[in-house]
Amino acid sequence: MTDFALDKPGKSRRPDLMAYATLSLISAFCAVPFFWVLLASLDGNAQLFLSWPREWTLNNYVRVFAEEDGARWVFNSLFVVGSATLLVMVLAGLGGYALSRTRAWWKQPFLYAILLIRVLPPTALVVPLYKILLTLNNIEGNLVRMVIGGDHARAIMRWIGFIDGYLGLILVLATMQLPLALWIMKTFFDGLPRDYEEAAVMDGATMLQRIRRVLIPLALPGLAAAGLFAFISAWGDFLLPLILLSSPELQTLPLGLFRAFLRVNTIDYGFLAALAFIYLMPAVIAFGFARRFLVQTFSGGVKG
Amino acid sequence: MVRSTYEKRVARQLLLILSPSLLLLLAFVIYPAVYSVYLSFTNEALTGAAALNPRFVGLRNYSRLLHDAKFWNSLFVTFVFVVGSAIIGQFVLGLISAIMLRRDLAFKQLFSSIILLPNAAPEVVAGFMWISMLAGGENATLSRIVMFFGMTPTDWLQTFPLTMIIVVNTWRGIATAMILLTAGLSTIPSEVYEAARMDGANPSQIFRRITLPLMMPTILLYMLISAVSTIAVFGLVYALTRGGPGGATEVISIYIYNQSFTAFQLGYGAAVAVVALVISLILGIAYVRAMKVQV
Repeated sequence: MTDFALDKPGKSRRPDLMAYATLSLISAFCAVPFFWVLLASLDGNAQLFLSWPREWTLNNYVRVFAEEDGARWVFNSLFVVGSATLLVMVLAGLGGYALSRTRAWWKQPFLYAILLIRVLPPTALVVPLYKILLTLNNIEGNLVRMVIGGDHARAIMRWIGFIDGYLGLILVLATMQLPLALWIMKTFFDGLPRDYEEAAVMDGATMLQRIRRVLIPLALPGLAAAGLFAFISAWGDFLLPLILLSSPELQTLPLGLFRAFLRVNTIDYGFLAALAFIYLMPAVIAFGFARRFLVQTFSGGVKG
Repeated sequence: MVRSTYEKRVARQLLLILSPSLLLLLAFVIYPAVYSVYLSFTNEALTGAAALNPRFVGLRNYSRLLHDAKFWNSLFVTFVFVVGSAIIGQFVLGLISAIMLRRDLAFKQLFSSIILLPNAAPEVVAGFMWISMLAGGENATLSRIVMFFGMTPTDWLQTFPLTMIIVVNTWRGIATAMILLTAGLSTIPSEVYEAARMDGANPSQIFRRITLPLMMPTILLYMLISAVSTIAVFGLVYALTRGGPGGATEVISIYIYNQSFTAFQLGYGAAVAVVALVISLILGIAYVRAMKVQV
């Protein structure tokens, strides 16, 4: 008791209580909306309002997959965002290494440019972006029809098309995540001593061998951070799929949720909440893994 | 001699492995940005005569901007939204959380996990959850809370639309502010606090005379970066209000979207986009200079 009193003089007890009270209020503000989604998704008679379910059920989740195209939305989201994340990790791993090791004149302009690119609002870019993608898509569509004929052209364009196709959305989503990922990887490689690479050079390893055998194993923590942030940001993005996708077969989770919500006359809150919860979970899990990198990444952005 | 050809080869290889990233950024960010400046000088549209045959119209889109009350409204709404949510809401709650969580509390991890949670919610899910919280009628969560304090409930997104999107965006960004400000707080040496306490300073004096001044550089950087990222917010507001009612929440990114994809006026939408790009770039350059990056 006395030891405790010595460590913490009586005066500091009251501020502790105040800290608990304040933090509880802020936490309640942060958490209450999540309770609604969770409870409504398990409620057989869900309402727009937060309430304790009288009839617990998993039926809402079953309906997402049985009655609607939920499985397809989940697949599309995982496929598109997963591919974009992989692409970002590969490109940022290579590019970040180059940015860290080069002494060329373009190093500084390039780094300033990627910092500034991060501040551009995506909405301000989507109209010209759409027109560029449309042009690419038309050229590509004509080529595809010339080579394989019109019969299967639509099916193929669904995969490799720039508009209303997987490839276009993957490339654009990846590009939007690249600046932060390049910055993370560049900073990461800056912290890796060159000794290992120099030893590999002495042993006569080529650039690709050096990357594969020496740098990738060393760079895994950096790649994990870059990949997680790319995944979280691309997973939550709504604007790009909204503009680039129109076929129902290509719909991703944000579009499925948004459009289900727009069917005003038949709003089914249990179904919507279950869908929202399914869409939420991968982001929360990824965020849990990303937590240990948050401080480095955010404050790294501040301190340079 | 041998050394220099080797170095040249390495330099070429480094540029080569950077080039895919460079290509993507040029094609899908830099070129669109430049292209939107070009578009803003044309009468390009998605439908009608101008769609088939766009013409160069000089500065006409920009002179139209000057007289467009909806454009000025969206600039004003954006300003209030940024100041209310990023500069005041997220900052104040983030700073309070950061300071409180420096204490050695039980459940510290739990508190910070919960505060981080809204940051993980995808924009559309966040919007959907808050439609429930803010709905009209006596059963919605916010209405129940105000009734508990003896006030009258209302349809919150209809009655106080701008205030409500500020509340929601504050909710979403407390964690970012908290993380950045925690990092800033940890750079203040504890000796400074001890010395002040020895001199008999009380907590509020310590906060005003020591914490705030020493935190100023961090706070400035936080303000710039959060202002820029708040200008870019689209999905959250779109899911909640789509800019309504009557333009009350039509922040600039929603206005660009509505002009381009609802009114189909691409040229005019591009002029608004250029304004948003210029404002963001100015704040961005201030940010890069303030953080004194060593690149």
